[in-house]
Amino acid sequence: MDKTHISVQNLSIYYDGQPGLRNISVDIPDKKITAIIGPSGCGKSTLLKSFNRLLDEQDKMKIKGTVLVDGEDIYDGKVDVTQIRKKMGLLSQRPQVLPMSIYDNVAYGPRIHNQKDKHKLDKIVQEHLENAGLWEEVKSRLHSPASKLSIGQQQRLCLARGLAVNPEVILGDEPTSALDPISAETIERRFLELKKDYTIVLVTHILRQAKRLADYVVFLYMGHLIEHGPADEFFNKPKYEKTQAYINGQFIVEHAIDRELDLRGTRCPENFDRVRSTLEEMPAEDILKLIVDYEAAINIFAREVDRAGHRVLEATRIGKASWEIVIKKEKPIISFQI
Amino acid sequence: MNRRKIEENFFKFLMILATLIVVGSLVLILGTVVYKGLPSLNLSMIIKTPSGGFYLGKEGGILNAILGSFSLAGGATILSIIISLPVVLYLNIYARKNSFLAYFTRFSFDVLGGVPSIVYGAFGLTIMLFLGLNVSLLAGIITVALLELPLMARAMDEVVRMVPQELKDASYSLGANKLETAFKVIVRQTLPALMTAVLIAFGRGIGDAASVLFTTGFTDSIPTSLFRPAATLPLAIFFQLGSPIPEVQDRAYAAALILTIVILLISIVTRILKKKFAKHTV
Repeated sequence: MDKTHISVQNLSIYYDGQPGLRNISVDIPDKKITAIIGPSGCGKSTLLKSFNRLLDEQDKMKIKGTVLVDGEDIYDGKVDVTQIRKKMGLLSQRPQVLPMSIYDNVAYGPRIHNQKDKHKLDKIVQEHLENAGLWEEVKSRLHSPASKLSIGQQQRLCLARGLAVNPEVILGDEPTSALDPISAETIERRFLELKKDYTIVLVTHILRQAKRLADYVVFLYMGHLIEHGPADEFFNKPKYEKTQAYINGQFIVEHAIDRELDLRGTRCPENFDRVRSTLEEMPAEDILKLIVDYEAAINIFAREVDRAGHRVLEATRIGKASWEIVIKKEKPIISFQI
Repeated sequence: MNRRKIEENFFKFLMILATLIVVGSLVLILGTVVYKGLPSLNLSMIIKTPSGGFYLGKEGGILNAILGSFSLAGGATILSIIISLPVVLYLNIYARKNSFLAYFTRFSFDVLGGVPSIVYGAFGLTIMLFLGLNVSLLAGIITVALLELPLMARAMDEVVRMVPQELKDASYSLGANKLETAFKVIVRQTLPALMTAVLIAFGRGIGDAASVLFTTGFTDSIPTSLFRPAATLPLAIFFQLGSPIPEVQDRAYAAALILTIVILLISIVTRILKKKFAKHTV
C-alpha cells in the first residue's frame, strides 16, 4: 500500500461499557475513495468520527487503540484537536449549514484560522464554491441565508465549507442519504473529481454507491472488521462468507462454533497437525474456530484449509495479538495436505 | 352515546373551560386596568414627577417611577445576562451531559425560581448591609438581578440544550474550538429564543415590588445616581393604592396601565428584533 494519511491500529470503542468497535486495524489509502460499508448499527459512523475526534463530544465513550493521522497519534493528550479536525472536512447525513449567510458559511473556517483579508476571503469563497459546483447557482445571492438553499445545495455548501479550510481528507457520513437522486448524483460526481486532490472516506449503506465510487472498501459487521481490500477484489472475489452474503443481499448468518482450538504459542508444524486431526475428527458441516497469535497465519491457514476442500468463513482480529479463523468442514474430503 | 364518547366530551369541555379561564382572566385584568386607569391617565402623569401633595390628589406624575423602573429592570437584566449566558454555555458545551455539576446547577435554578421575591428582598438587604451599601438603585439592581437570574438561565438553558449535536459537530469539524462554536454558532442560532428569555426576565424584574421594597426604596425625584434610592412603578402603584383618596387610587390604575403598556411595547419590539435575527437561523 502507498503512503497513508489515516492508519487505524487496534481501535476498540466502547459506548457505555458496550463494545461498539472491536480491534479495528486498517490503513486508508491516499487520494482514493474508501467506502466503509455494512448494515446499520455496525459501527461505520463511529469509525468515521474517530478519525477527527468528534467522538470526544459524546459522553460515556471509551476509546482504546491508536489512530494515526500523518503519523501522529491523534488520541495522544498533547495533540491540538482543532488542528486534527482542520485536516478533515466532514459531510454529515443531513447537511448542517451554519446559521449565517452563504458567504459566511464558507468563510467561517478560514476566518477562524486567521484569514481576515477581505480580498483573499472573497477568492477562497469563490474558489471553493466552484469546487463544490455551487458557484453558478449562488453567486448573485452570496449574502442571503444559507438555510434558504435547497437541501442538495446545502450539502454542496457544506462541501465547499469543508474544502475552504484546506483539508487533506474528506469524510462523508452517508452524505447523500437525505438528498434527492439528482443532488446525490451531483455530489457523487464531485467526489470523483475531488479524489485527485483529496483522500475521501465515505460511510454508505448503499452498495451500489460503494461500487460506483469506491477504490477501496472496508466492510464492518457488528463492530468487527470483516474484510477490507481494493474494490475490484472486494466485490468480485470476496474472501469471506459474510462479505459474500452482504454483497449478494442475503442474510448474514452467525455460525454456532462447534469446536474451538487455541493455537497461540504453538509452532509449525505442530499447529497444522492439530488443525488437521481436529478437522478429521469433526463431522461434516461442523464449524471450527482457531485462535492464532500472528497475522500471517490467517493467510497461511486459509490457503491450506482451502486446499483441503474446507471453507474459511471469516478471519477477524479479536485482540492485540490474536486473530480468529472460522472454518467450516465440508463433506468430500481429500486428506489435509500441508 | 356510549361511555367513551361521553367521557371524551366531558374532558374536552373541561379543557375548553380551563382555556376560557386563562383568556378570561387576562381580559378581565386588562379591562380593569384600562377601565379604571384610562380616565386618570394624562400627559402630566408621564412627563412630570410628583409635586407637593401628589399623594393627596394634587398635581404631578410618575416620571420618577417610570425612569426608575427602566433603569432598575434594565440594569438588573443586563447583569443577569452577564451571569446566566456563561453558565448556560458552560453547562451545554463544556460540562459533561449528565455530570453532577450540571444536574446540581439546573436543580438550583429550579429551586431559586420558586423562591418568593420578598425573600430575595430580605437577602438583598443582608448583602447590602454586608457591602455597606445604602438603600439605592445599585442595591436594587443586584437584588432584582438575582431574582431574574434563575428564570433567565433556565429559559436560556432549555433553548441552548435544543441545539442539535450535528450543528456543533459541523463547527468543530472545521477546526473551531468550543468557545468559537459557542459564540459564533450557538448564540447566533438561538438568539431569537435567548431574546425571549431576556424579555421574560425583564418583565419579571420590572413588575416586582417585594424585592425592591427594602433595597431600592422610593423617591420623588428621577434617578440620577446608582447610589441613591430610586422610585419604581410597582411601588408607586402600591403606595397610591394604599391611599384613602379615590383620585389617588385611580392614579394607581393609571400607573398600572403604564406598566402594562411598557411591557407590551417591549414584547412588540422584541418580536420585531427576533424576526430580524431569525433570518439566518437553520
